[in-house]
Parts: sequence; C-alpha cells; structure tokens
Amino acid sequence: MTREDFRRELGDAFDSISGSPDPALSDRVRSALVEAPERRGPVWIAALAAAVIAVILVGVLLVGNPLNRGPLVPGGGGSPTPSASPAPAPSPSPSPTPVVQYICGASSSFTGTNPPLSAFVSDVRTGAHSDTGYDRVTIEFKNGQPESIELRPQTDTKFMTDPRGDTVTLAGKVGLKVVIHSADAHTSYSGSKDIKTGAGFTALREVRELGDFEGYVTFGLGLSGTGCYHASILTNPTRLVIDIQTS
Amino acid sequence: MISVVIEQRPQMLARAAEGDAHAFAALIQPLLDPAYRLAAVMLADRSTAEDAVQEASIKAWRKLGQLRGDAGSLRSWFLSIVANECRMVRRQRWWNVVKLAEIRPTQGAGNAFDAAATDLKSALLRLSPDERLPLVLHFYLDLPLEEVARTLGVSTAAAKSRIYRTARKLRSDLTLEEVF
Repeated sequence: MTREDFRRELGDAFDSISGSPDPALSDRVRSALVEAPERRGPVWIAALAAAVIAVILVGVLLVGNPLNRGPLVPGGGGSPTPSASPAPAPSPSPSPTPVVQYICGASSSFTGTNPPLSAFVSDVRTGAHSDTGYDRVTIEFKNGQPESIELRPQTDTKFMTDPRGDTVTLAGKVGLKVVIHSADAHTSYSGSKDIKTGAGFTALREVRELGDFEGYVTFGLGLSGTGCYHASILTNPTRLVIDIQTS
Repeated sequence: MISVVIEQRPQMLARAAEGDAHAFAALIQPLLDPAYRLAAVMLADRSTAEDAVQEASIKAWRKLGQLRGDAGSLRSWFLSIVANECRMVRRQRWWNVVKLAEIRPTQGAGNAFDAAATDLKSALLRLSPDERLPLVLHFYLDLPLEEVARTLGVSTAAAKSRIYRTARKLRSDLTLEEVF
C-alpha cells in the first residue's frame, strides 16, 4: 500500500462518517456570535477582582483566628475528593498547628476545571520531612492542572506498567498508584523515571513512572508503614503534592 | 471568497479584537468546514457536531484575547477549542456517544472495496475520539505536522508518534513510509 492509497482510504472513511456540514451552519454560527452575550469586559473583571479580594479577606480572618480553625477536610478547592470514607482522623484540638487529615486506604481524585489539552509533567521530586511527620512527592506541571488525577492505594507494591503490562515490584510494603489523565511526561520532563529514596525517608521508598501512553501518565509509589496520604494541588507552578504520613 | 478572507485576516483580527462580532464570524468562516468535519469524526454524530462547532465558535469569540501569535495561528487555536468542546460534549452526553459508536456493517456490501472501506470505518470508530483526533487533523484536514502538534498542544515529534501509533492500530503492517 502506498502513502497515497492509505490517505485516500482514510479520507473516504472519514467522509462517510462526517458527510458535509449543513450549508446553513455558517449563518447559524454568525447569528449565534452576533447574539452572544458581550465578550468578557471590565464588568466581569471587576466582579472577579471583588471575589478575589473577598477570598483574601476571609483567608486573612481565618489565619488571624487559628483557635477556631477546624481540620482540613478533603473535597474542596485544591484538596482531593475521596471516593470512600477515609479512616477516622484525629479529632480537632485547639492548637495553632494546622491539622492535616490523612487518607488511609481510600482512593481520591482531583478534576481540573479548565485543563490544557495535555498537561506536561515538568518535574518529579521527593523530600523528607520526618520532623513534621511526612515524606513528600511533588509532580509539577508546566502548563496547568490536568483533566483528572486519581490516587489509588493498594496493599502491596506490585504495579503493572502501561502499555506493556509487565509487573514491577517497588520497594516498601504498600503502594499508591497515581493516574494522571490528559497529560504526558515526555515533552517537558527528562528526569529520572525511577527515584529510590535514601536516608532520611521513613515512609516513601520509591517513585517510579509506570506509563506515559495515550494521554495517561501513571506513577507508582512504594511506601513503608500505613500508606496514609494527603494530596493537594498547589499553584504557581501547578503541582500535585502528595504527603505520606510517617508516624 | 476564502482567499479574500485570508488576505484580510490581519484587519479582521484587529476588528474582532475590538469587539466586532461580524469580523470574527468572517474570520472563522473558512474554518467552519474543517471544524465540523473534526467534530463529526470525534463525536460520530453530525447534528451534535454542528452544535459543538457553534458552541466552540462562541467560546473562541470570548477567548479571542488568549490567541497567541498572529492570524496564522488561528486555525490550530480554533480547532483545539473545537476538540475541547467535543470532549466536553462527550462527557455530558456519554450515553449518546456509546450508543452511536455501535456501528454495524452496511447490509449487502457490494464488493471487496466496499467491505474494506466499511472495515476501515468501523476500525476508526473503535478508536477513542482522542485517538482519532491526530488522524483527522493530519490525513483528513491535511494539516502539516507542526500545526497538528500546535492543535494537540504537544511537540512535533510527539504528534508524529501519535499519528503513527494510531495508524498502526488501523493497519498493523503499515510502515513509517506508508504513513508520512
């Protein structure tokens, strides 16, 4: 088969799927554009600015009154939505230290509100914070939050690679699989695909890229201990931050 | 008509940027046909595709300030908005798409060529919409690889890789030379 044959056959198949547009489509679009509400202008910007100021004021009030602060609850803003009830968390106490609610044995997910066509992973890094009770994995994105991110805990460290389907076993006793959709880890990331942590880390043992195929980027985390985690999305730059509880 | 529009693009873009909806409509008019074809293949439904193109046009109009580059970037920018709109339509009406994706061979296909064409069409519809997208852009809309890459938001090498990988799903014996 020649290149032209292949193109012609594909063109014919596409033609039979799409047909031709209705001749009235152009007029229909023109009417819709003319009748559409005005493009975003100063009023919209002013409303957004007012909302941002309101959020900042509320934030300042909350920070200024830490004794009334409740536990951080997953589900809103940059926190994940658990798909099952997490294990009971420590009850809130009147302490100025923020109480982080770790998720144990339950999946959670994030959904991007205005995701790019493909979010480019630009960095993957780890950090030990045993003094404050967690080890951290950060996955940074170059151009915004991807369409969806799922975190799936598992009771072992065996993971399947995508798309080959090979089984790999990571260091540690339990695992956490991170599935990122509408993303790629080969355009803007050239760092290590398999990070084995060393001294100083007590919960996070290994971070390994399991797949980067057809818009799905998958990472496996090999963990020690309970595998309880807390995940959040931070901005400037956009990044997924996963804290693994060490104690 | 199309050549006139292309020559006047910079002026039209400037007028559209100042809020002239008629100028924007004229600017995207030559892109409606490829946009419809892209949407029809991604959604496998002609009526929904027209709705998606209309909605994408309004979104493009509202996002015109985000257009980077000159009028030459317009096509890939607009088609990426259409592709995003198709994804949104699928998420909102997934039951329709699932139902429509069940394509059956035409009764009494006349000859071997018809049968092969039906097979290819069925194979195309078995691909996910996002897998069809680079094929439509490159083979159906004849976009060069660089523009396919811009529309997909990936590097040219990644776009080429996606096209080849998906083409091999249709015909596993295809060589690189037969695709590009």
